[in-house]
Amino acid sequence: MKHHPSDETLFRFASGSLESGPRIVVGVHVGGCTACAARISEFEAVGGALLSGIEPEEMGEDALDRLVARIEADSDSSGEAALRSRPTRADVGIRLPEALDGCGIGPWRWIGPGVRWSRVTIPEDASANVMLLKVAAGRRLPEHTHSGCEYTQVLKGSFYDARGRYGPGDLDEADDEIQHQPVVDETGECICLAALEGRMRLRGFFGRLVQPFIGG
Amino acid sequence: MTMRADAGTLSPEEAIRLISAVAKGRDRAAFAALFGFYAPRLKAFMMRSGMTASAAEDVAQETMLLVWKKASYFDPRRAGVSTWIFTIARNVRIDRLRRESRPATVARAFDPSDEVDGPVSGEAAVMTAEREERVRSAIAMLSSEQAQILRLSFFGDKPQSEIAGELGIPLGTVKSRVRLALGRLRLILDDLK
Repeated sequence: MKHHPSDETLFRFASGSLESGPRIVVGVHVGGCTACAARISEFEAVGGALLSGIEPEEMGEDALDRLVARIEADSDSSGEAALRSRPTRADVGIRLPEALDGCGIGPWRWIGPGVRWSRVTIPEDASANVMLLKVAAGRRLPEHTHSGCEYTQVLKGSFYDARGRYGPGDLDEADDEIQHQPVVDETGECICLAALEGRMRLRGFFGRLVQPFIGG
Repeated sequence: MTMRADAGTLSPEEAIRLISAVAKGRDRAAFAALFGFYAPRLKAFMMRSGMTASAAEDVAQETMLLVWKKASYFDPRRAGVSTWIFTIARNVRIDRLRRESRPATVARAFDPSDEVDGPVSGEAAVMTAEREERVRSAIAMLSSEQAQILRLSFFGDKPQSEIAGELGIPLGTVKSRVRLALGRLRLILDDLK
């Protein structure tokens, strides 16, 4: 594993300010990378230190009593058990990382020669832009830029661009200054989990991705 | 039940003792002591990240409710009590922000990372305590400007543009200062290992 999220990204993951799409992609990386997991523990400990060191704000007078009343009411009821319906998960041909367990996985859809995508839905945030991308061996992705940061975690196979080669477990963090044209290695297809920062950019990204194929 | 008056300090060891008392004995007095220390700090933390006082108090309450419910999941090998409670509050806050933008969402109370995984070894718990101590020293070793930018970016949702306004510096400067502060934090943390 050679490519990791930046410290800033791990810091935002730990502080909770990373958007849910990038959060899930970084979560997949961290699930398989002990170095990044350790870094996040340290940044979370920064949160713990800030919490215990902060100047306290007085709680409402009866705050504890109200909470205890809730605890008592809660133990009377027979569990909260708000069972969530299991999301639909298409078989995408590979074993998906545990961090995606609660997510819905759409079927592969063709978006161009040798390129397919599948929509990943996060139950807590249906508007997040997360997708699986499957690109055939040797296939060159159209050159693209993006207005927010793009996070791509390699699940299978590998690709390379001017910045290096990305293999399974690697996370490519490409900010808006990077203009890249990833090429999948000849040895086999490449499957990635990708998320874009920002809500409404999926269309723009896919627009650019698909455009060369549809001759627009 | 009354609130403890001396909620000004709580040592990491005492916090661990209180959490296990809550986990094992459902000890209300221990919970009240935890509440007395953490609830007002959680409220302050949330207010610093831009919540109103009443929303911040709600998050503090919600977090402490989860502390009560999930005390048995606390694992001193993974994190100190303050860090653990911080991560719960962070998740409560994330859920809350998502619910506000999408009302039908079912709250996800916990990360899978909060699951217990086996008996606690003393050694691992000591290593965790050392990490937390290391982080505290590292923060203390940052320049006051670096500590401030770190604090500001940690208190969550405040966009960097707002931080820039608050400090009276350009946005690009905030970005590079955050990067520098994190770089320095990483150096110090790795040095202290």
